[in-house]
Amino acid sequence: MTASVTRRAWLRGIIAAAVATAFVGPAAAQQTLKFGLAMPLTGSQSSFGKDQIKATEWAVADINAKGGVAGKKLEVIVLDTQADPTIGINAVNRLINVDKVPVFVTAWSAVVKAVAPIANREKVLELSIGANAPEISKLGDYVYTAFPLADVDLTALATYTGKTLGHKRVAVLYANNDSGVEAAKVYRSVFEKAGGQIVAYETYDPKATDFTGMLLKVRTANPDFIHLHGLVADMPIVIAQMRQLGITQRVSTYAGGYNPQMIEKAGKGAEGLIVTSLAPDERQNPNVGPYIERWKKAENRIPNGLPYTQYLYDAAYLVAALYEHLEKNKLPATGENMRKALLAVRTFDLPMTGKLTINDDHTVRKPVNLLTVQNGQFVPLTTVD
Amino acid sequence: MEYIYSVLILIGINIIMASSFNLIIGYGGLISIAHPIFFALAGYCSAIVSMKFGVPIPLAIVLGTLFSTVLSVALSLPSLRVSGDYLLIASIGFQLGFVEVIKNIEAAGAASGLTGIPALYSGPLRSPAFVVTILAVAALVVWLVHRMTHGDYGRAIQAMRDDEECFTSLGRNATAIKVAIFAVGSGVAGLAGALYAHYSQFLSPEQFGIIQSGLILTMVVVGGMGTTWGPVVGALLLTALPQAITFVNLPTAIMAPLQGMIYTGLVLLFLFVRPQGLMAKKVRQ
Repeated sequence: MTASVTRRAWLRGIIAAAVATAFVGPAAAQQTLKFGLAMPLTGSQSSFGKDQIKATEWAVADINAKGGVAGKKLEVIVLDTQADPTIGINAVNRLINVDKVPVFVTAWSAVVKAVAPIANREKVLELSIGANAPEISKLGDYVYTAFPLADVDLTALATYTGKTLGHKRVAVLYANNDSGVEAAKVYRSVFEKAGGQIVAYETYDPKATDFTGMLLKVRTANPDFIHLHGLVADMPIVIAQMRQLGITQRVSTYAGGYNPQMIEKAGKGAEGLIVTSLAPDERQNPNVGPYIERWKKAENRIPNGLPYTQYLYDAAYLVAALYEHLEKNKLPATGENMRKALLAVRTFDLPMTGKLTINDDHTVRKPVNLLTVQNGQFVPLTTVD
Repeated sequence: MEYIYSVLILIGINIIMASSFNLIIGYGGLISIAHPIFFALAGYCSAIVSMKFGVPIPLAIVLGTLFSTVLSVALSLPSLRVSGDYLLIASIGFQLGFVEVIKNIEAAGAASGLTGIPALYSGPLRSPAFVVTILAVAALVVWLVHRMTHGDYGRAIQAMRDDEECFTSLGRNATAIKVAIFAVGSGVAGLAGALYAHYSQFLSPEQFGIIQSGLILTMVVVGGMGTTWGPVVGALLLTALPQAITFVNLPTAIMAPLQGMIYTGLVLLFLFVRPQGLMAKKVRQ
């Protein structure tokens, strides 16, 4: 059997397949208002990426069901980034040059940064929604975030810990990755400025399974409180090992920890855990309750990273508002006009996350919800403006 | 058009990577997985000397390439003297270790990645210029690997790979050949990395994990190990195929698993149907 498949036959097959795929694609062209969405569909981050994409796709369907934007249909073109910068560059090049989108939405800090030179060069509006590296606000004229960067929720959290809870000695533990390193720096500087003391500042490999060494150092430093900044995959393990070693101090983390998996995996150890959320909950926004119900009905679960999916749901409404501005002023749909539209409209009223104002320094501010774990449930603690 | 350029550039980079890796693993029989780290080291070195010390970019690229070459000797010399398996283990350590080192160097952007790397070319002809440069380098690398592995020196390399004891008994120095091809292969990977750094203008340690090693290995295996054109076809196929799939307008629920399965699927398919790879003539004994 092996010998019957020749080199030529293989090559012929490949070329035929390549030609065939090239023709299938552009068949369904139609006058729609397009925007790109470059997210991880595969790879380690795909469980979050897929839910965020679903949220955007729902929103696009909802907008179109109500008649679209100025009578035209909104269309989202989804491409996989695997949360990897190299693959992200290709995806964005394709969105800009093949699909000719004037605006695209992307997330994951490394991808946001890697594609920024393309957005600036090609003059296409890049909307970062979900990534929170503080550097994102300084990536150039065409890169804007519609999601509060790390300084917003960590400032609120560090201030709450120092002022309201009255803790003076805090240990900071962070995963040695993009998000962890930057966030730990922000937390330390805010907490120290407020007069507190960071008694331990330790980094760990998020792929590790044993954190005893680091945790023993923390125990020796004897902090009043612990701030942890990692991924949902590693944080419950860190907390569980903390409790085993007799470290009973209360722990806080960021929006990434607002995930039911934290409680499932860390069990009783998660009691008292403080997390942040940058999106309103069902009491603060009447649209959120039905949205969660929709997830339960369609997928039989709560989405991975609920607040992030709320922002991605709103991404479609944000883009729709930009297109509406262009249609109203009869401007062609170019990246330059998209950027102008963003700055002209500036304040958006979005269904899931409420009012959004784009600041001149490319940042946005949002009220920060603090939640805590009580009897195995996340319950609201307070809201910091 | 810009999109076609970016795919061509990626194909060119992957051809350089796969061809040079083929020199090491296919012709030399040296089992190493540290290929992407030499790409990374040269990229970072070139980016940093051009950003912090104002070295002109072409010179920075040369320095980056040399840096990778020198470090490859530092890896291969101690581990090759022993034997094959040690190289594999040392290369895993080298790969993982240096990624961690990069993650902790502030000047290299640490875990957040290095932004603002100057571009080699700018202006309206930027992308075509990159395409021409990278494809020219790729052609040169394929030619170089072909020249090295054919003729007298090529026969020596393959004799060393197939029976090292017999080769040594003829009075030839196996270690010298191994170190030489490892240095050339890694240096070429470094050149690709330095060019890439000044094209993408962004580097992050996450780009150079073990997954990258697997990807390049897949290109070599699918294309055909130990052949001149195998890695070229493998790089072309495995770079273009995932791109082509995105043009078939599939719903995301199908697209996601499909994208994820391409590599595994291809490797399994080839394992059964054509274990010698696309471009090899017959199954090697």
